[in-house]
Amino acid sequence: MSCSSNSPNSGGCGGGGCGSGSGGHEHGMDRRSFLRTSSVAVAGVAALAASLAPLRDLTDVGTAEQFFQKHYKKLTPEDMEKVLARITREVEKQYEVRPHVRDYKAMDGVEFVYALNLTRCIGCRKCVHACVAENNQSRNPEIQYIRVLKMPHGSMDPEKGDHNYTSELVPEKGSFYMPVQCQQCVNPPCVKVCPVKATWQESDGITVIDYDWCIGCRYCEAACPYFARRFNFTKPSIPKDQINPNMSYLGNRPRPQGVVEKCHFCIQRTRAGKYPACMEVCPTGARKFGNILDPDSEVSHILKTKRVFIQLKEEVGTSPRFFYYFDV
Amino acid sequence: MKAERKTPLVLSILTISFLILAATFLTDIWGKSAQLPEIPPVDPSFTKTATARVSAEELYRTKGDTSMLECYGCHEQGKELTLKFDEDHNVILPDEHDDIIMAHGTHNRNNNCFNCHDEHNLEVLQTRDGRTVKIQDGHDLCGSCHGPTYRDWLAGIHGRTSGFWNVSMGEKHRETCTACHDPHQPKFLPRKPAPGPNPLRPVEVKHSEGKAH
Repeated sequence: MSCSSNSPNSGGCGGGGCGSGSGGHEHGMDRRSFLRTSSVAVAGVAALAASLAPLRDLTDVGTAEQFFQKHYKKLTPEDMEKVLARITREVEKQYEVRPHVRDYKAMDGVEFVYALNLTRCIGCRKCVHACVAENNQSRNPEIQYIRVLKMPHGSMDPEKGDHNYTSELVPEKGSFYMPVQCQQCVNPPCVKVCPVKATWQESDGITVIDYDWCIGCRYCEAACPYFARRFNFTKPSIPKDQINPNMSYLGNRPRPQGVVEKCHFCIQRTRAGKYPACMEVCPTGARKFGNILDPDSEVSHILKTKRVFIQLKEEVGTSPRFFYYFDV
Repeated sequence: MKAERKTPLVLSILTISFLILAATFLTDIWGKSAQLPEIPPVDPSFTKTATARVSAEELYRTKGDTSMLECYGCHEQGKELTLKFDEDHNVILPDEHDDIIMAHGTHNRNNNCFNCHDEHNLEVLQTRDGRTVKIQDGHDLCGSCHGPTYRDWLAGIHGRTSGFWNVSMGEKHRETCTACHDPHQPKFLPRKPAPGPNPLRPVEVKHSEGKAH
């Protein structure tokens, strides 16, 4: 009833002029105020859009499929097949190489151990670059899993090491060389600090990372006493002709931007029974790798018969599976 | 009433601030982030797994060119060879063998071809205890002097290994002594190292304590 009594009034107002704000027509809007409001709104939205211009540079957003993917340990074999197919597709699209992506599982009765002979290492850094080539690390910016420390004779203090040495020829007199990479600790601090369980230790001793689960908080990088972990600040850049197509999910498949990576003992090789790339390229045979649970393996023999000097920084209680030793 | 007046004010302030922000982005008032320096690609030789040398064992195994191991292509069979020495007791090598550098052992103590080569049959080797060793089995000869190294080599912990650690899945390949060591000059020569991590800025010269001076 009240509505009908008001209607003549509101009709009169529609002609214009009552937009000055006075009067009881709270929901009415005249042309001028409509134009003003809408033009301001359009300008505001346009300004907002323009101010978000830096987002144009955002690449590598990832697909919904990847976003909704479950944690590695919760993937069923069928899920894993789909995931591997997706990775194959993505790699093929980006690098024009058909990769062979697999999810290698840990073998029973195997625990990997690395032994490095400090008497033999000459500091040639071949291992560093063989690792980069094998594991599809970014070339620019550089990501390298191995750092070769040049150390003065008479000290085992890694603080005295220099990894930027630019010697013409190696080895130099008065120095020895100590390559450092992920030590695959029995008691890994990086695993403890991960807030999302994106990194964990497998039964064969390899600490792995699910790159699709990592949130890039870099806590693990800070927790590692060996400077073993690397963060992808940018999307990794790898020349198309240098992609290693033999890939594994937890290993050397191309990483997205914003995740952490590290040495995984060449999971795509070692879980297929082969030696890691850094070991095969070593010109002096300073690097030895094998299954510590096999009493006849090379590493068992070294730990039994050689002067094994350290687990690096053994006082921090990480108990590495990477041993440094000397001949004689 | 008050709220009604505030809304357009807030909206205009927001719009203006967005416009300023957009203008700064579009004109790059802060400049673009610094471009990364170009990192030259690494010489592919640094990632090659080939050994330093090709051993006689490998030549015979891969049926390569073994003509340089056929001594009697040049030497006369049955003719006795005499070594010549200079006044410092260094063996004088004939021009045909000038590719050889005699540097096995310190203080010239191993300065005689026939410490290892058999003077009666140049195509085989001889150990000091009188055994004859085929040229492709050189490790037996090396082991007759270098006991601890030979022991380690037999155990798989001296020298290079490649292939499969798990022999049930594939073959493990061991290198022999002369795949890495030149028998006439066994010590490794210093070599050029691969480039280190790119420092992304000019390198300060750091004098490490270990430098020998």
